[in-house]
Amino acid sequence: MATVFMRWLERRPATYERGIRLLTLGRLGAFYQRIQAEIGAEDRVLEIGCGTGALTRQLAAKAAKIEALDVSADMLDYASRDLQARGLSAHVRFSRMDALTLDSHFAAGSFDIIVSSLAISELSALGQEHVLRLCRALLKPSGSLFILDEHEPEGPGARRISRLIRAPLRLLTWLLTRTTTHPLRKFAQKLASAGFEAECLQQGLAGTLRLFRATPLASFRLKEMPALVTHVQHRPNLRTRVQDLWALFFRVIPPYPSVEPGLYAIGDPDTASPVLVTGNYDLTVRRVVAPLDRRSDVWLLVVDSAGINVWCGAGGGFLTAERILGAFHMSGLERWHEAKRMILPQLCANGVDGDLIRAQTGWQVHWGPVRAVDIPDYLENNFEKTEAMRTVRFPLSDRLEMVSATLGLYGLMILVPVVIFWGHLFWPALIALLGISYFYALALPWIPGRDGLLKSIPLAFIVLAGMLVYSLVIGSYDPLQLFRRGIGVVALSVFVAAEMQGMSPLMRGEQANWGWEALIALVLGGAYWLLPGLVGWSA
Amino acid sequence: MTEITSPGWRELLLEHWHLARTLRRLEIVFEPERCMGLFECYEVCPVECWRILQDQDVVEFIGAGRCIACNACVLQCSAGAIELRVV
Repeated sequence: MATVFMRWLERRPATYERGIRLLTLGRLGAFYQRIQAEIGAEDRVLEIGCGTGALTRQLAAKAAKIEALDVSADMLDYASRDLQARGLSAHVRFSRMDALTLDSHFAAGSFDIIVSSLAISELSALGQEHVLRLCRALLKPSGSLFILDEHEPEGPGARRISRLIRAPLRLLTWLLTRTTTHPLRKFAQKLASAGFEAECLQQGLAGTLRLFRATPLASFRLKEMPALVTHVQHRPNLRTRVQDLWALFFRVIPPYPSVEPGLYAIGDPDTASPVLVTGNYDLTVRRVVAPLDRRSDVWLLVVDSAGINVWCGAGGGFLTAERILGAFHMSGLERWHEAKRMILPQLCANGVDGDLIRAQTGWQVHWGPVRAVDIPDYLENNFEKTEAMRTVRFPLSDRLEMVSATLGLYGLMILVPVVIFWGHLFWPALIALLGISYFYALALPWIPGRDGLLKSIPLAFIVLAGMLVYSLVIGSYDPLQLFRRGIGVVALSVFVAAEMQGMSPLMRGEQANWGWEALIALVLGGAYWLLPGLVGWSA
Repeated sequence: MTEITSPGWRELLLEHWHLARTLRRLEIVFEPERCMGLFECYEVCPVECWRILQDQDVVEFIGAGRCIACNACVLQCSAGAIELRVV
């Protein structure tokens, strides 16, 4: 499901430009002209995040040499063809580049002007700070940085009102073009802490759209240790309980609640404290923090895993060694950390290349325990894992949790068509689904069969027997009804047992069962609709 | 941030089809003579498929029937002694 959703979210250049025009109510043009007016004909210009080239066109009409960057190949293709058609491409070089890696492509002090329009806000807070530091290094001492972006109004009241007013426009634009912006917060402070003196040149849309000109401060040295660290604590409250409840039933439905990637402090860590790495799924982070808070002093490096847990994130290519290295470099750890020891979750070893991280950082990389609750013991035990710490178990509490998580999505998938087409079957279907699922979760260790598909055979027999007893004692089904409901519960048993297999790293992924599930569904469907007619069975 | 490029429908379907066909039949192929005794496989396996032979400083694969084909040991083995393939 997640992949379907992401596909739909994909940006296309033409609709992106339309979306941005809609969101800014066509006000960007005036800002572009202002930037153009600030540029000299001999200037060497870097544009970060050129997108469809709307600003690049204006710059190209004036500046001597422009480097235009974007992470999206589609956007670059669109922009370069557009500029060619207008005869403006002579002095522009387009490159596909991640802004976070600017320093490995350009020498320090090589630009007079750096511009960026609606691109900085696409980065995480940590990424923004990192890119601003890189920009300062790439600018000549007399150079200027122009940043045009959307900003959140200061003060909670103004922020709420602005969000409320913008909400309908944002929703409409997103539905039409899958484009949205992420307004910047406290940006002037960020510019100052990266070593810039900033002034706001122009604003629009009630002050939410602002153009900043930032010039490098002559007397500025980057601090080595982060002066201000974000502490995370384990404090359950109403909000986290609602999130837990949502996660219990609907965690497989995107978008996943996530935590801002970055370096966090648990307790009171220093330059020798161990660095723990995890993904940025909200529940994952909270479950790592809970056992550590008030017991250990550690750094927690939260890596962008697209809001997915570490096992599925690593398996699906969202949590990778490259992502971890990216977060590591941005965090600045390598500049001040002395113990040089990093602990990765054991359950991301299926997709994170530990050797690559060792080679690129020179740090010691350990594989921590499977369960976050074991981390404090593991740390106190001098990074030694016991047998129990390295092995996946699937205890009753986990089984109940995972069967609930499966029921949320599959319950909707099964019950919605039932309500629409077979309304009278809603309660029997719901009770059967809940009954089979939770019975399976309880009885899993004692049901014979080495994987979910094989376990579904005894499960189906138990469920059939239960239904038979029910119909004899309480209900009074006629044979045709009994046959059809029997098919129904067998189908549910196979589905529940085969799919639960993917909910723990105890058995192979549930994909192993899909071919068989489809085949069984065909056979059962055929029997359901054809057999009664063939044998002349009627109610 | 680096964009996540999603594959097209065709690749997705083919990938799932391939997984559904092969996942059940994947097996660990281990060449003990290449083992350098780093024990990374032992360290990362979530289902206890590897045992350390203390006297010889190498590992032994003991997980036939238990292996979940997660690829962790294959990825972490610096010696390239482990493979996961349809036998």
